[in-house]
Amino acid sequence: MVDSNDTSLSNNKQQRDWGFSCIVAFIGLIAVWLLLMPWIPGIAKHSLQRFHLRTPSFSVWAAQFPIPSMYNFANQYKVEQYPPGFVMMILDENWRYANHFPARVITFFAGRYDFLSSQQDRWFTLKSSYRGQVLESKFHLEAQAEGGYQLIRIDEVEESL
Amino acid sequence: MNRITLAFQRLRSAGIHRPIAAYRLVQATILVSLFWKWEFFLQANNIYANIPVEDPFFPDWLRSITTIRLAFWGSALATGISLITSINLLRKTCNWLGFFGITLMCVHQGSYNDMTFVTIWWCCLWSVWLSHRIDTDQQELLMLRAAFLSRLIISLILLGGAAGKWTPEYWSGEVLFDIYFLDRDFWVFNYLRDNYEPEDLQEIAKWYSRQIIVVETISGIGLWALPARWAALIATIILSGVVILSNKYLVSVIACLIGLACVGFFVPRRPRKAATNVNLALEKPAAN
Repeated sequence: MVDSNDTSLSNNKQQRDWGFSCIVAFIGLIAVWLLLMPWIPGIAKHSLQRFHLRTPSFSVWAAQFPIPSMYNFANQYKVEQYPPGFVMMILDENWRYANHFPARVITFFAGRYDFLSSQQDRWFTLKSSYRGQVLESKFHLEAQAEGGYQLIRIDEVEESL
Repeated sequence: MNRITLAFQRLRSAGIHRPIAAYRLVQATILVSLFWKWEFFLQANNIYANIPVEDPFFPDWLRSITTIRLAFWGSALATGISLITSINLLRKTCNWLGFFGITLMCVHQGSYNDMTFVTIWWCCLWSVWLSHRIDTDQQELLMLRAAFLSRLIISLILLGGAAGKWTPEYWSGEVLFDIYFLDRDFWVFNYLRDNYEPEDLQEIAKWYSRQIIVVETISGIGLWALPARWAALIATIILSGVVILSNKYLVSVIACLIGLACVGFFVPRRPRKAATNVNLALEKPAAN
């Protein structure tokens, strides 16, 4: 016999709620995606590309925003005043870690102010790694005569995905 | 009629409508989260106007300063109205507007995937769902579902944090050492830097990082399965701990989640069986 004092959802006389069920299913789907990420390299690769704004289409990238990713992956960035390889003496000592979405260093308010207020060209290198997979991306921020910058993705990127 | 229904009737006659109280608490904490970002918004407003970055990855309107202004202010205004209004249609409309505005913030070039907007987005989704059901006559069932959904969302967000940290760089503490221990100006890290040598700090960073991974993993996997009030209490402690031990900027990320966690406190206590038998004989309907 059902205990009438039971507060569990299953024992209440259910009034069907499709909205509730859809949200629960949506959360379940994201949870499965997250739990599989360490074991299925394709999911991790997809997520690393998302972090570097390298998802093939904007809409696919945008559709992933509800997936929570607080302090995910080991994300590093490096900002240089010269093109990569131009100054041989610069070693890798100026790498810093970013908490998540390292490409935000370029466009978010503090990074944009710190690195781009000089109105001179800058080169950004981003490197994210997760369980042996590494994605590296290079961006050239070209100063425009009328102010602001043009972001150019540099094709030669190293990755071991 | 069960005891929970009786409890609801007593509270309603005393003027307390639990789903609306829970709903308003979440709206208030969404506003706290948004306005904790006030400095971000002011600076971003200025910097984005003066240093535009043209990136073809984003559509033009999602790089526009106008979009971010409208989205931020629109969301704040809509949430403020939804907090105070008692007109159901207006409440629903404002929740949809807030939800839409925060969705824009989550994909705009100048604010994308900022965790503040992601956590607010989940709270807005919960609010939209609840605002469409708040007039139901099955208040106790609604409250149970609202609390279940709230802890499911918090579990997911914690799981999202954990899954991305299941990597050697976090287990060794290397990442958080660089982000927090090296130069972050916050009381706990200032204290540690003042009192420990760099090699000790690396060891502390390792265990600091590991406890985060363990707590996020356990709560991400198991929080949703706890009883409502226990889940609310544990989530509130964990989330408050994140702010106290990490940095003050996380208040904007966490405030709305604490509000969402507190929804569990609005679920009436389950009466004990022993007490139930005694009370059933003694109890009369409360006058107020």
